Amino acid sequence: MIAIDHLSRPGRLHDVSFEARPGRVTGFLGPNGAGKTSTLRVLLGLDRARGGTALVSGRRYAEWSRPLTVVGALLDGSGAHRARSARAHLRWMATSNRLPRSRVAEVLDLVGLTDEAGKRAGGFSLGMSRRLGLAAALLGDPPVLVLDEPVNGLDPAGIRWMRAFLRDAAAEGRTVLLSSHLMGELSGIADDVVIIDRGRVVASGTVDEVSAGHLTLEDAFFALTAGTSKW
Amino acid sequence: MVSGGRVQMVSLVHAELRKLLGLRTAWVGLVLGLLAAPVLVGLNASATRRAVAEGLTGDASDLAFQNLGIGVLGAMILGVVVVSSEFTPTGDDVPGARQLTATLLATPRRERLLIAKGTALSLVVAVQGLLTTVATLVITRWVHGSLIPAPQPGRAAAAVLYWVLIALLAYAITLLARNGIVTLTVLIVNSTVVSLPYLLTKVTPWAAYLPDVVGAHMFLRSIEVPVEIAPVTAGLVMSAWVAGLLAVAAALFNRRDA
Repeated sequence: MIAIDHLSRPGRLHDVSFEARPGRVTGFLGPNGAGKTSTLRVLLGLDRARGGTALVSGRRYAEWSRPLTVVGALLDGSGAHRARSARAHLRWMATSNRLPRSRVAEVLDLVGLTDEAGKRAGGFSLGMSRRLGLAAALLGDPPVLVLDEPVNGLDPAGIRWMRAFLRDAAAEGRTVLLSSHLMGELSGIADDVVIIDRGRVVASGTVDEVSAGHLTLEDAFFALTAGTSKW
Repeated sequence: MVSGGRVQMVSLVHAELRKLLGLRTAWVGLVLGLLAAPVLVGLNASATRRAVAEGLTGDASDLAFQNLGIGVLGAMILGVVVVSSEFTPTGDDVPGARQLTATLLATPRRERLLIAKGTALSLVVAVQGLLTTVATLVITRWVHGSLIPAPQPGRAAAAVLYWVLIALLAYAITLLARNGIVTLTVLIVNSTVVSLPYLLTKVTPWAAYLPDVVGAHMFLRSIEVPVEIAPVTAGLVMSAWVAGLLAVAAALFNRRDA
Protein backbone atom coordinates (compact mmCIF):
# COMPACT_ATOMS: atom_id res chain seq x y z
CA MET A 1 0.00 0.00 0.00
CA ILE A 2 1.32 3.43 -0.98
CA ALA A 3 -0.32 6.59 0.34
CA ILE A 4 0.72 9.96 -1.06
CA ASP A 5 -0.95 12.76 0.83
CA HIS A 6 -0.84 16.47 -0.08
CA LEU A 7 2.76 16.28 -1.23
CA SER A 8 4.30 19.57 -2.25
CA ARG A 9 7.70 20.66 -3.47
CA PRO A 10 8.28 24.21 -4.68
CA GLY A 11 8.02 24.48 -8.45
CA ARG A 12 7.60 20.74 -8.89
CA LEU A 13 4.68 19.25 -6.96
CA HIS A 14 1.46 20.90 -5.86
CA ASP A 15 -0.73 19.08 -3.36
CA VAL A 16 -0.23 15.65 -4.92
CA SER A 17 -2.43 12.95 -3.38
CA PHE A 18 -3.18 9.38 -4.50
CA GLU A 19 -3.01 5.79 -3.39
CA ALA A 20 -1.68 2.58 -4.88
CA ARG A 21 -3.34 -0.51 -3.49
CA PRO A 22 -2.22 -4.13 -3.02
CA GLY A 23 -3.06 -6.60 -5.75
CA ARG A 24 -3.35 -3.85 -8.35
CA VAL A 25 -1.09 -2.24 -10.91
CA THR A 26 -1.30 1.53 -10.61
CA GLY A 27 -0.11 3.51 -13.60
CA PHE A 28 1.35 6.92 -12.83
CA LEU A 29 0.95 8.80 -16.05
CA GLY A 30 2.06 12.19 -17.23
CA PRO A 31 4.06 14.09 -19.83
CA ASN A 32 7.81 14.42 -19.35
CA GLY A 33 8.57 16.83 -16.55
CA ALA A 34 5.10 16.54 -15.00
CA GLY A 35 6.45 15.46 -11.62
CA LYS A 36 6.35 11.65 -11.81
CA THR A 37 10.00 11.01 -10.99
CA SER A 38 9.97 13.79 -8.41
CA THR A 39 7.02 12.17 -6.61
CA LEU A 40 8.66 8.75 -6.65
CA ARG A 41 11.98 10.15 -5.38
CA VAL A 42 10.22 11.83 -2.46
CA LEU A 43 8.33 8.60 -1.76
CA LEU A 44 11.66 6.74 -1.63
CA GLY A 45 13.33 9.29 0.64
CA LEU A 46 15.81 10.44 -2.01
CA ASP A 47 14.45 13.97 -2.35
CA ARG A 48 12.80 16.15 0.26
CA ALA A 49 9.25 17.50 0.11
CA ARG A 50 8.22 20.85 1.53
CA GLY A 51 4.90 19.53 2.81
CA GLY A 52 2.68 16.46 2.89
CA THR A 53 3.51 12.81 3.47
CA ALA A 54 4.40 9.79 1.39
CA LEU A 55 3.97 6.48 3.18
CA VAL A 56 4.74 2.90 2.25
CA SER A 57 2.81 0.31 4.26
CA GLY A 58 2.04 3.01 6.81
CA ARG A 59 5.54 4.41 7.35
CA ARG A 60 7.92 6.81 5.68
CA TYR A 61 10.47 4.92 3.60
CA ALA A 62 13.37 6.02 5.82
CA GLU A 63 11.64 4.58 8.90
CA TRP A 64 12.03 1.02 7.65
CA SER A 65 15.20 -0.56 9.00
CA ARG A 66 15.36 -3.12 6.16
CA PRO A 67 13.64 -1.18 3.38
CA LEU A 68 14.54 -3.64 0.63
CA THR A 69 12.15 -6.14 2.25
CA VAL A 70 9.33 -3.59 2.07
CA VAL A 71 9.77 -1.77 -1.24
CA GLY A 72 11.55 -2.73 -4.42
CA ALA A 73 12.42 0.34 -6.45
CA LEU A 74 13.64 0.68 -10.01
CA LEU A 75 14.87 4.14 -10.97
CA ASP A 76 17.21 5.42 -13.69
CA GLY A 77 20.09 3.10 -14.45
CA SER A 78 21.15 0.04 -12.48
CA GLY A 79 22.63 1.90 -9.51
CA ALA A 80 25.74 -0.25 -9.80
CA HIS A 81 29.19 1.37 -9.80
CA ARG A 82 30.57 0.86 -13.30
CA ALA A 83 33.64 -1.01 -12.06
CA ARG A 84 31.59 -3.49 -10.02
CA SER A 85 30.19 -6.76 -11.30
CA ALA A 86 26.44 -7.35 -11.20
CA ARG A 87 26.97 -10.01 -8.56
CA ALA A 88 29.18 -7.81 -6.36
CA HIS A 89 26.60 -5.01 -6.56
CA LEU A 90 23.77 -7.27 -5.46
CA ARG A 91 25.92 -8.80 -2.72
CA TRP A 92 26.59 -5.56 -0.91
CA MET A 93 22.96 -4.60 -1.22
CA ALA A 94 21.93 -7.96 0.28
CA THR A 95 24.47 -7.58 3.10
CA SER A 96 23.19 -4.10 4.00
CA ASN A 97 19.65 -5.40 4.52
CA ARG A 98 20.67 -8.72 6.07
CA LEU A 99 19.25 -10.75 3.19
CA PRO A 100 20.51 -14.30 2.57
CA ARG A 101 23.32 -14.50 0.04
CA SER A 102 21.33 -17.11 -1.89
CA ARG A 103 18.90 -14.38 -2.96
CA VAL A 104 21.58 -12.86 -5.19
CA ALA A 105 21.74 -15.91 -7.45
CA GLU A 106 17.94 -16.23 -7.35
CA VAL A 107 17.24 -12.69 -8.56
CA LEU A 108 20.02 -12.85 -11.17
CA ASP A 109 18.33 -15.96 -12.52
CA LEU A 110 14.90 -14.33 -12.36
CA VAL A 111 15.95 -11.42 -14.60
CA GLY A 112 18.11 -13.61 -16.87
CA LEU A 113 21.49 -12.17 -15.91
CA THR A 114 23.13 -15.31 -14.51
CA ASP A 115 25.58 -15.56 -17.41
CA GLU A 116 26.57 -11.90 -17.11
CA ALA A 117 26.77 -11.87 -13.31
CA GLY A 118 30.57 -11.60 -13.25
CA LYS A 119 30.79 -8.81 -15.83
CA ARG A 120 31.34 -5.15 -14.95
CA ALA A 121 28.12 -3.17 -14.81
CA GLY A 122 29.85 -0.35 -16.76
CA GLY A 123 29.83 -2.50 -19.88
CA PHE A 124 26.13 -3.35 -19.69
CA SER A 125 23.65 -2.31 -22.37
CA LEU A 126 20.69 -0.18 -21.33
CA GLY A 127 18.48 -3.26 -21.27
CA MET A 128 20.92 -5.22 -19.10
CA SER A 129 21.22 -2.27 -16.70
CA ARG A 130 17.44 -2.18 -16.32
CA ARG A 131 17.43 -5.89 -15.59
CA LEU A 132 20.16 -5.47 -12.98
CA GLY A 133 18.14 -2.64 -11.44
CA LEU A 134 15.10 -4.89 -11.33
CA ALA A 135 17.15 -7.69 -9.76
CA ALA A 136 18.15 -5.25 -7.00
CA ALA A 137 14.51 -4.25 -6.54
CA LEU A 138 13.50 -7.88 -6.09
CA LEU A 139 16.31 -8.83 -3.67
CA GLY A 140 14.19 -8.48 -0.54
CA ASP A 141 11.07 -10.07 -2.11
CA PRO A 142 9.14 -6.89 -1.26
CA PRO A 143 5.32 -6.58 -1.19
CA VAL A 144 5.53 -3.17 -2.86
CA LEU A 145 7.17 -2.36 -6.21
CA VAL A 146 7.87 1.18 -7.41
CA LEU A 147 9.16 1.49 -10.96
CA ASP A 148 10.04 4.66 -12.86
CA GLU A 149 9.56 4.17 -16.61
CA PRO A 150 10.41 0.45 -16.30
CA VAL A 151 10.33 -0.44 -19.98
CA ASN A 152 12.62 2.38 -21.13
CA GLY A 153 15.50 0.84 -23.03
CA LEU A 154 14.00 -2.64 -23.21
CA ASP A 155 13.62 -4.49 -26.49
CA PRO A 156 10.15 -5.76 -27.51
CA ALA A 157 10.76 -9.13 -25.86
CA GLY A 158 11.91 -7.36 -22.70
CA ILE A 159 8.82 -5.15 -22.69
CA ARG A 160 6.60 -8.19 -23.06
CA TRP A 161 8.46 -9.91 -20.23
CA MET A 162 8.20 -6.85 -17.96
CA ARG A 163 4.45 -6.51 -18.54
CA ALA A 164 3.84 -10.15 -17.68
CA PHE A 165 6.10 -9.85 -14.68
CA LEU A 166 4.25 -6.84 -13.27
CA ARG A 167 0.85 -8.44 -13.84
CA ASP A 168 2.04 -11.57 -12.01
CA ALA A 169 3.38 -9.45 -9.16
CA ALA A 170 -0.02 -7.79 -8.71
CA ALA A 171 -1.76 -11.18 -8.99
CA GLU A 172 0.41 -12.32 -6.07
CA GLY A 173 -1.05 -9.48 -4.04
CA ARG A 174 1.81 -6.98 -4.39
CA THR A 175 1.29 -3.26 -4.76
CA VAL A 176 2.73 -2.18 -8.11
CA LEU A 177 3.22 1.50 -8.93
CA LEU A 178 4.80 2.34 -12.26
CA SER A 179 5.29 5.63 -13.97
CA SER A 180 5.15 6.20 -17.68
CA HIS A 181 4.80 8.97 -20.21
CA LEU A 182 3.40 6.55 -22.80
CA MET A 183 -0.22 5.49 -22.72
CA GLY A 184 0.35 2.38 -24.79
CA GLU A 185 2.60 0.96 -22.10
CA LEU A 186 -0.19 1.01 -19.56
CA SER A 187 -3.15 -0.24 -21.55
CA GLY A 188 -3.92 -3.80 -20.66
CA ILE A 189 -1.61 -3.78 -17.66
CA ALA A 190 -2.80 -1.03 -15.28
CA ASP A 191 -5.87 -1.46 -13.10
CA ASP A 192 -5.77 2.07 -11.76
CA VAL A 193 -4.43 5.26 -13.28
CA VAL A 194 -3.20 8.50 -11.77
CA ILE A 195 -2.63 11.30 -14.26
CA ILE A 196 -0.28 14.10 -13.27
CA ASP A 197 0.33 17.30 -15.21
CA ARG A 198 2.56 20.22 -14.26
CA GLY A 199 2.89 18.93 -10.72
CA ARG A 200 -0.84 18.42 -10.09
CA VAL A 201 -2.93 15.27 -10.14
CA VAL A 202 -5.59 15.92 -12.77
CA ALA A 203 -7.37 12.56 -12.64
CA SER A 204 -7.23 9.29 -10.74
CA GLY A 205 -9.32 6.14 -10.53
CA THR A 206 -9.72 2.87 -12.36
CA VAL A 207 -8.86 2.83 -16.04
CA ASP A 208 -12.58 2.79 -16.86
CA GLU A 209 -13.35 5.70 -14.56
CA VAL A 210 -10.57 7.88 -15.93
CA SER A 211 -11.35 7.12 -19.58
CA ALA A 212 -15.12 7.56 -19.12
CA GLY A 213 -16.45 10.02 -21.70
CA HIS A 214 -13.42 9.45 -23.94
CA LEU A 215 -12.86 6.84 -26.58
CA THR A 216 -9.65 5.53 -25.08
CA LEU A 217 -7.35 6.13 -22.13
CA GLU A 218 -5.07 7.92 -24.56
CA ASP A 219 -7.84 10.35 -25.54
CA ALA A 220 -8.56 10.95 -21.87
CA PHE A 221 -4.88 11.61 -21.22
CA PHE A 222 -4.57 14.23 -23.95
CA ALA A 223 -7.85 15.86 -22.99
CA LEU A 224 -6.73 16.10 -19.36
CA THR A 225 -3.21 17.30 -20.07
CA ALA A 226 -4.15 19.60 -22.95
CA GLY A 227 -1.91 22.58 -23.31
CA THR A 228 1.29 20.97 -22.11
CA SER A 229 2.09 19.21 -25.32
CA LYS A 230 2.49 21.19 -28.49
CA TRP A 231 1.81 18.24 -30.80
CA MET B 1 15.66 -2.33 19.96
CA VAL B 2 19.14 -1.37 21.06
CA SER B 3 20.62 -4.72 20.04
CA GLY B 4 18.57 -4.63 16.82
CA GLY B 5 20.17 -1.32 15.97
CA ARG B 6 23.59 -2.77 16.71
CA VAL B 7 22.98 -5.79 14.48
CA GLN B 8 21.85 -3.41 11.77
CA MET B 9 24.95 -1.23 12.15
CA VAL B 10 27.22 -4.28 11.91
CA SER B 11 25.59 -5.30 8.62
CA LEU B 12 25.81 -1.75 7.30
CA VAL B 13 29.53 -1.57 8.11
CA HIS B 14 29.98 -4.99 6.53
CA ALA B 15 28.20 -3.79 3.37
CA GLU B 16 30.37 -0.65 3.24
CA LEU B 17 33.54 -2.73 3.64
CA ARG B 18 32.40 -4.88 0.74
CA LYS B 19 31.71 -1.82 -1.38
CA LEU B 20 35.03 -0.15 -0.60
CA LEU B 21 37.23 -3.23 -0.99
CA GLY B 22 35.42 -4.19 -4.19
CA LEU B 23 36.83 -1.16 -6.00
CA ARG B 24 40.14 -1.16 -7.83
CA THR B 25 40.77 2.51 -7.01
CA ALA B 26 40.51 1.67 -3.32
CA TRP B 27 43.19 -0.99 -3.77
CA VAL B 28 45.44 1.59 -5.43
CA GLY B 29 45.18 3.63 -2.23
CA LEU B 30 45.60 0.57 -0.06
CA VAL B 31 48.71 -0.74 -1.80
CA LEU B 32 50.25 2.70 -2.36
CA GLY B 33 49.82 3.50 1.32
CA LEU B 34 51.28 0.17 2.38
CA LEU B 35 54.36 0.39 0.16
CA ALA B 36 55.32 4.06 -0.12
CA ALA B 37 56.84 4.62 3.32
CA PRO B 38 58.81 1.35 3.61
CA VAL B 39 60.14 1.76 0.05
CA LEU B 40 61.19 5.37 0.72
CA VAL B 41 63.22 4.22 3.72
CA GLY B 42 65.25 2.03 1.38
CA LEU B 43 65.56 4.66 -1.36
CA ASN B 44 66.62 7.40 1.05
CA ALA B 45 68.99 5.19 3.05
CA SER B 46 72.29 6.73 1.93
CA ALA B 47 70.99 10.31 1.96
CA THR B 48 69.66 9.75 5.49
CA ARG B 49 72.98 8.30 6.63
CA ARG B 50 74.83 11.32 5.27
CA ALA B 51 72.41 13.75 6.86
CA VAL B 52 72.83 12.13 10.26
CA ALA B 53 76.63 12.06 9.90
CA GLU B 54 76.71 15.75 9.02
CA GLY B 55 74.31 16.61 11.82
CA LEU B 56 71.72 18.08 9.43
CA THR B 57 68.74 16.42 11.05
CA GLY B 58 66.75 18.31 13.64
CA ASP B 59 65.69 15.34 15.65
CA ALA B 60 67.16 11.98 14.61
CA SER B 61 64.20 10.12 16.08
CA ASP B 62 62.02 11.72 13.38
CA LEU B 63 63.87 9.90 10.60
CA ALA B 64 61.98 6.66 11.26
CA PHE B 65 58.63 8.45 11.07
CA GLN B 66 59.09 11.04 8.33
CA ASN B 67 58.21 8.75 5.45
CA LEU B 68 54.87 7.90 7.08
CA GLY B 69 53.85 11.48 6.35
CA ILE B 70 54.14 10.72 2.62
CA GLY B 71 52.62 7.24 2.68
CA VAL B 72 49.51 8.76 4.21
CA LEU B 73 48.56 9.64 0.62
CA GLY B 74 47.19 6.09 0.37
CA ALA B 75 44.85 6.71 3.30
CA MET B 76 43.72 9.94 1.64
CA ILE B 77 42.83 8.10 -1.55
CA LEU B 78 40.73 5.65 0.47
CA GLY B 79 38.95 8.52 2.21
CA VAL B 80 38.12 10.12 -1.14
CA VAL B 81 37.10 6.92 -2.91
CA VAL B 82 34.68 5.83 -0.16
CA VAL B 83 32.55 8.87 -1.05
CA SER B 84 33.43 9.67 -4.67
CA SER B 85 32.43 6.16 -5.80
CA GLU B 86 28.88 7.06 -4.78
CA PHE B 87 28.84 10.09 -7.08
CA THR B 88 30.58 8.60 -10.14
CA PRO B 89 28.11 8.34 -13.08
CA THR B 90 27.17 4.67 -13.51
CA GLY B 91 27.06 4.86 -17.30
CA ASP B 92 26.89 7.09 -20.34
CA ASP B 93 23.39 5.91 -21.26
CA VAL B 94 21.69 7.41 -18.25
CA PRO B 95 23.10 10.79 -17.28
CA GLY B 96 22.77 11.51 -13.59
CA ALA B 97 22.49 7.88 -12.49
CA ARG B 98 24.88 7.12 -9.62
CA GLN B 99 25.51 4.40 -7.07
CA LEU B 100 24.26 6.79 -4.38
CA THR B 101 20.68 6.02 -5.42
CA ALA B 102 21.12 2.31 -4.71
CA THR B 103 22.96 3.13 -1.50
CA LEU B 104 20.19 5.35 -0.16
CA LEU B 105 17.49 2.90 -1.23
CA ALA B 106 19.26 0.22 0.82
CA THR B 107 20.16 2.59 3.68
CA PRO B 108 17.74 5.52 3.73
CA ARG B 109 18.81 6.75 7.18
CA ARG B 110 21.59 9.01 6.09
CA GLU B 111 23.27 9.53 9.44
CA ARG B 112 23.52 5.74 9.88
CA LEU B 113 24.95 5.44 6.39
CA LEU B 114 27.62 8.04 7.13
CA ILE B 115 28.56 6.38 10.42
CA ALA B 116 28.81 2.99 8.68
CA LYS B 117 30.98 4.46 5.92
CA GLY B 118 33.22 6.28 8.39
CA THR B 119 33.61 3.13 10.48
CA ALA B 120 34.46 0.96 7.49
CA LEU B 121 37.00 3.53 6.30
CA SER B 122 38.57 3.88 9.76
CA LEU B 123 38.90 0.10 10.11
CA VAL B 124 40.61 -0.29 6.74
CA VAL B 125 42.96 2.65 7.27
CA ALA B 126 43.78 1.64 10.86
CA VAL B 127 44.93 -1.78 9.64
CA GLN B 128 46.77 -0.19 6.73
CA GLY B 129 48.42 2.41 8.98
CA LEU B 130 49.41 -0.16 11.58
CA LEU B 131 51.01 -2.52 9.04
CA THR B 132 52.81 0.33 7.31
CA THR B 133 54.08 1.90 10.52
CA VAL B 134 55.42 -1.39 11.84
CA ALA B 135 57.01 -2.25 8.48
CA THR B 136 58.57 1.21 8.16
CA LEU B 137 60.00 1.18 11.67
CA VAL B 138 61.36 -2.35 11.33
CA ILE B 139 63.00 -1.57 7.97
CA THR B 140 64.44 1.70 9.34
CA ARG B 141 65.95 -0.23 12.23
CA TRP B 142 67.30 -2.87 9.88
CA VAL B 143 68.81 -0.33 7.46
CA HIS B 144 70.19 2.18 9.95
CA GLY B 145 70.61 0.15 13.13
CA SER B 146 71.54 2.24 16.15
CA LEU B 147 72.17 5.35 14.02
CA ILE B 148 68.55 6.34 14.69
CA PRO B 149 67.05 6.13 18.20
CA ALA B 150 64.66 3.24 18.86
CA PRO B 151 61.07 4.35 18.10
CA GLN B 152 58.64 4.77 20.98
CA PRO B 153 55.39 2.76 20.75
CA GLY B 154 53.38 5.86 21.64
CA ARG B 155 54.63 7.70 18.59
CA ALA B 156 53.87 4.71 16.39
CA ALA B 157 50.30 4.65 17.71
CA ALA B 158 50.04 8.40 17.08
CA ALA B 159 51.16 7.87 13.49
CA VAL B 160 48.39 5.30 12.96
CA LEU B 161 45.87 7.73 14.48
CA TYR B 162 47.16 10.44 12.11
CA TRP B 163 46.47 8.17 9.14
CA VAL B 164 42.92 7.47 10.29
CA LEU B 165 42.24 11.17 10.91
CA ILE B 166 43.64 12.17 7.50
CA ALA B 167 41.41 9.55 5.84
CA LEU B 168 38.38 10.91 7.70
CA LEU B 169 39.39 14.45 6.71
CA ALA B 170 39.46 13.41 3.03
CA TYR B 171 36.10 11.68 3.58
CA ALA B 172 34.52 14.85 4.99
CA ILE B 173 35.96 17.13 2.26
CA THR B 174 34.80 14.79 -0.53
CA LEU B 175 31.34 14.64 1.03
CA LEU B 176 31.22 18.43 0.93
CA ALA B 177 32.57 18.66 -2.63
CA ARG B 178 30.61 15.62 -3.91
CA ASN B 179 33.42 15.06 -6.36
CA GLY B 180 36.52 12.91 -6.00
CA ILE B 181 38.74 14.36 -8.70
CA VAL B 182 38.78 17.90 -7.32
CA THR B 183 39.34 16.72 -3.75
CA LEU B 184 42.03 14.24 -4.68
CA THR B 185 43.92 16.78 -6.79
CA VAL B 186 43.89 19.36 -4.01
CA LEU B 187 44.94 16.82 -1.38
CA ILE B 188 47.74 15.34 -3.48
CA VAL B 189 49.16 18.71 -4.49
CA ASN B 190 48.91 19.84 -0.88
CA SER B 191 50.76 16.84 0.50
CA THR B 192 53.39 16.31 -2.20
CA VAL B 193 54.12 19.52 -4.12
CA VAL B 194 53.44 22.35 -1.74
CA SER B 195 51.59 22.35 1.57
CA LEU B 196 49.27 25.33 1.61
CA PRO B 197 48.86 25.34 5.40
CA TYR B 198 52.65 25.14 5.70
CA LEU B 199 53.09 28.16 3.42
CA LEU B 200 50.51 30.01 5.46
CA THR B 201 52.58 29.51 8.58
CA LYS B 202 55.00 32.01 7.02
CA VAL B 203 52.18 34.54 7.12
CA THR B 204 50.56 33.74 10.42
CA PRO B 205 51.70 31.32 13.14
CA TRP B 206 48.05 30.31 13.61
CA ALA B 207 48.24 28.39 10.32
CA ALA B 208 50.24 25.80 12.25
CA TYR B 209 46.92 24.76 13.73
CA LEU B 210 45.39 23.85 10.33
CA PRO B 211 44.48 20.15 10.31
CA ASP B 212 47.23 18.44 8.34
CA VAL B 213 50.12 20.51 9.77
CA VAL B 214 48.99 20.27 13.36
CA GLY B 215 48.35 16.53 13.08
CA ALA B 216 51.93 15.76 12.13
CA HIS B 217 53.04 17.04 15.56
CA MET B 218 51.47 13.91 17.01
CA PHE B 219 54.37 11.79 15.81
CA LEU B 220 57.05 14.16 14.45
CA ARG B 221 59.20 16.31 16.74
CA SER B 222 61.13 18.72 14.52
CA ILE B 223 58.59 20.41 12.29
CA GLU B 224 59.60 23.86 11.12
CA VAL B 225 56.69 25.92 12.31
CA PRO B 226 56.81 29.03 14.46
CA VAL B 227 54.88 27.48 17.34
CA GLU B 228 55.58 24.60 19.70
CA ILE B 229 52.68 22.14 19.75
CA ALA B 230 52.65 19.20 22.15
CA PRO B 231 51.64 15.78 20.67
CA VAL B 232 48.46 15.49 22.76
CA THR B 233 47.40 19.05 21.90
CA ALA B 234 48.08 18.26 18.25
CA GLY B 235 45.92 15.15 18.43
CA LEU B 236 43.08 17.02 20.07
CA VAL B 237 43.20 19.93 17.62
CA MET B 238 43.26 17.66 14.58
CA SER B 239 40.42 15.51 15.99
CA ALA B 240 38.37 18.65 16.54
CA TRP B 241 38.96 19.74 12.93
CA VAL B 242 37.91 16.35 11.61
CA ALA B 243 34.86 16.15 13.88
CA GLY B 244 33.80 19.68 12.92
CA LEU B 245 34.17 19.11 9.17
CA LEU B 246 32.36 15.76 9.42
CA ALA B 247 29.50 17.41 11.31
CA VAL B 248 29.11 20.13 8.65
CA ALA B 249 29.38 17.59 5.80
CA ALA B 250 26.83 15.29 7.47
CA ALA B 251 24.37 18.14 8.11
CA LEU B 252 24.56 19.16 4.43
CA PHE B 253 24.31 15.58 3.21
CA ASN B 254 21.20 15.12 5.36
CA ARG B 255 19.52 18.19 3.96
CA ARG B 256 20.40 17.91 0.28
CA ASP B 257 18.46 15.94 -2.30
CA ALA B 258 20.33 12.85 -3.37
